[in-house]
Amino acid sequence: MMLDLIGSLAAVSGSARLVVDIAMYFGLFVIVAMALNFQYGNAGIPNMGCAVQVIVGGFTVSALTTRLTFWLVQQGGVKLLPYTSDFDWVYNNQINVSVLTNPYLKSHPFLAVSLLLFSIAVSLILGAAIGWLISVPAIRLRATYLMITLITMADASQIIGRNVVSISGGTLGMFVPNVFAWYPGDRTVVMAVITLAIGLVSFFIFRTMLNSPYGRLMRAIRENEITVGSVGKNVTGIRRNILMFASGITAISGCLLAFYFSFVVEANYQRAFWTYWPWLMLMIGGPGNNAGTFLGCALIVAMRRVIIVNKYLFSKIFFFPIAYFESVLLGLLLILVMIFRPNGLIPQKLLYIPGVNYRQLVREEVRVDWRTAPKASKSGGRFKLWGGKRED
Amino acid sequence: MIIPAIWMAAIVYASEITILSIGFTLTYLTAKIPNFAHGTYAGVGIYMSYTMSKILGITPYVAFPISFILGGIMSVIIYYLVIGVLTRMGGGAIVLTISTLAIQIFLTALLNIYAYYLRARFKTYAMSFLLKQADFKIAGFQGIFPVALSICIATVIILHYLLTKTKTGIAMRATAEDPELASVLGINIHRIQLFSWFLTGGLACLAGAMIPLWFMSTPQSGAAIITSIMAGSLLGGFTNVYGAIVGGFGVGLSEILLTTWLQRVVGVWVGEYRPLIPMFFLVAVLLLEPRGLEGVYIRFKATKTGEKLFAILGREVV
Repeated sequence: MMLDLIGSLAAVSGSARLVVDIAMYFGLFVIVAMALNFQYGNAGIPNMGCAVQVIVGGFTVSALTTRLTFWLVQQGGVKLLPYTSDFDWVYNNQINVSVLTNPYLKSHPFLAVSLLLFSIAVSLILGAAIGWLISVPAIRLRATYLMITLITMADASQIIGRNVVSISGGTLGMFVPNVFAWYPGDRTVVMAVITLAIGLVSFFIFRTMLNSPYGRLMRAIRENEITVGSVGKNVTGIRRNILMFASGITAISGCLLAFYFSFVVEANYQRAFWTYWPWLMLMIGGPGNNAGTFLGCALIVAMRRVIIVNKYLFSKIFFFPIAYFESVLLGLLLILVMIFRPNGLIPQKLLYIPGVNYRQLVREEVRVDWRTAPKASKSGGRFKLWGGKRED
Repeated sequence: MIIPAIWMAAIVYASEITILSIGFTLTYLTAKIPNFAHGTYAGVGIYMSYTMSKILGITPYVAFPISFILGGIMSVIIYYLVIGVLTRMGGGAIVLTISTLAIQIFLTALLNIYAYYLRARFKTYAMSFLLKQADFKIAGFQGIFPVALSICIATVIILHYLLTKTKTGIAMRATAEDPELASVLGINIHRIQLFSWFLTGGLACLAGAMIPLWFMSTPQSGAAIITSIMAGSLLGGFTNVYGAIVGGFGVGLSEILLTTWLQRVVGVWVGEYRPLIPMFFLVAVLLLEPRGLEGVYIRFKATKTGEKLFAILGREVV
């Protein structure tokens, strides 16, 4: 179906739009959740500030790419309305973008594509920079401190986006140039394909990194940072590097979202949306496992999109907006998954380390005398919900 | 005596933040996790006040004891169903913290749904409200000003008595220090945990019930207040209840006074950035002294002046 859509040049509508929408959001969330998996699942860094990194991607497009496009278009001889002051920036934005800039980009496809690449590159760099910045207060402290700072940073970024008009038009939001104006078909289809492709590429990058010596170092830090530190590795530095790298990748998804909508407003980058849902995807799929992350993303995105599309059905049953039903679902699912499926749908596997004779390990059955083991440990991962004897 | 309204607002707010910060720190001490749902308990208290005042038509002060008990029960249920289960399964600090975030999302959504229910059932606007009219007046003050301050002081005194003089409180401190050693000594850790969750939940809900009497409240205001609570707790040292008292009051006061002062000096637009003030405190504390005021206190005790001062005082304070 996707292939048909790519081929077709007509405007997308009806159920085809739903497919494109699901594909786009799946791509975006795969990027975010896989970066999160890289940080939390493999390195044990609880990044609760994904929203900051995504918002940086969006703001890159609205604040930098749009200005650059305006400047380039003016160099090309098109007379734009003034856009330097905050007031003009917001109120002339629509005419500047839709009426004056987009036709110019339509006749200059090379410029448009290079603008897209420029935005992706800049958001990668700025995302890494913001990753470094938000890691400064708490990266060397306990993990809970890092969580606290990152959560508050996510709020701070949104407050700044709401009030500094020159970034993204404040609460009104602003249009960004359509870099696929030259494409005769529907822009959203191309965006979805590009997003999925970037998701796939980042999957291979993450997988390669995980199976390298650096990946094993990450797992070691997750398991026991004191041991890693005692054999001469710079734990704080490695953590910071991982956070920066994953932040950069996460920022790309914000940039792609901005081009998908051709519109940037801070309300699109809410903390709940870009932090808690990826966490739920990660938890459902299984932390430390990219295949699980894919599965979790597919499940959750499909569920959410179907709920949103069938909004009118739900609105007959509920007296409240559907968003709160989604939040209830999010909270409940997160707790239930953590209690009943702590390892996710696909549990993580041990890393393959070259040089280790796995066949030998399997052949030599390790014998353990279970009679001497304490009673509690026999139950393994099971537990009793009600009236269970305490195990401590 | 005339107290400027802004000071009264700041003191009311600071009292609420203090009570919430104490609860947050107590949870951190006993359960070893930052409870992100702590602010949302306050949200439950906010809607308790609203229900009493607007639906039942009685004074919102009735809501205070009720929300204390309700919050305690809610907190115990959360401990039984989620936190306790996850702890027994061996979930680490990160997993537990994420579960509190999930609870926060869940409770906030429920509060929103409740507000919509009130609109559908009673035709009242419960999305954003202020109960200042429902308050009584005493000697020209809004009633909540003396009440909030005295509840705050009473909480501090009772808690100090509880933690230092009663058996339960001492058992609580022992559990916080070393749960295994405490259980060896015959302390029922499970019961102590339940008691501490009841206490923290109740206190948070009580503080929440006071909020709408002076401040504009929405279903989200409980979740939004968590930054101030964490900043207060972190400023006090994160593991020290007495520090949380000072830190919570400091952050609460400065959040309102600093915003007002900056608005006067820089411009009105600064008001939009008010939520950044507790964040600023948080980051500054983490950068300068991660142990907060407790660390400053310990450092001061180690200096020569400090030693002299404590020699004059003749005893160890705290």
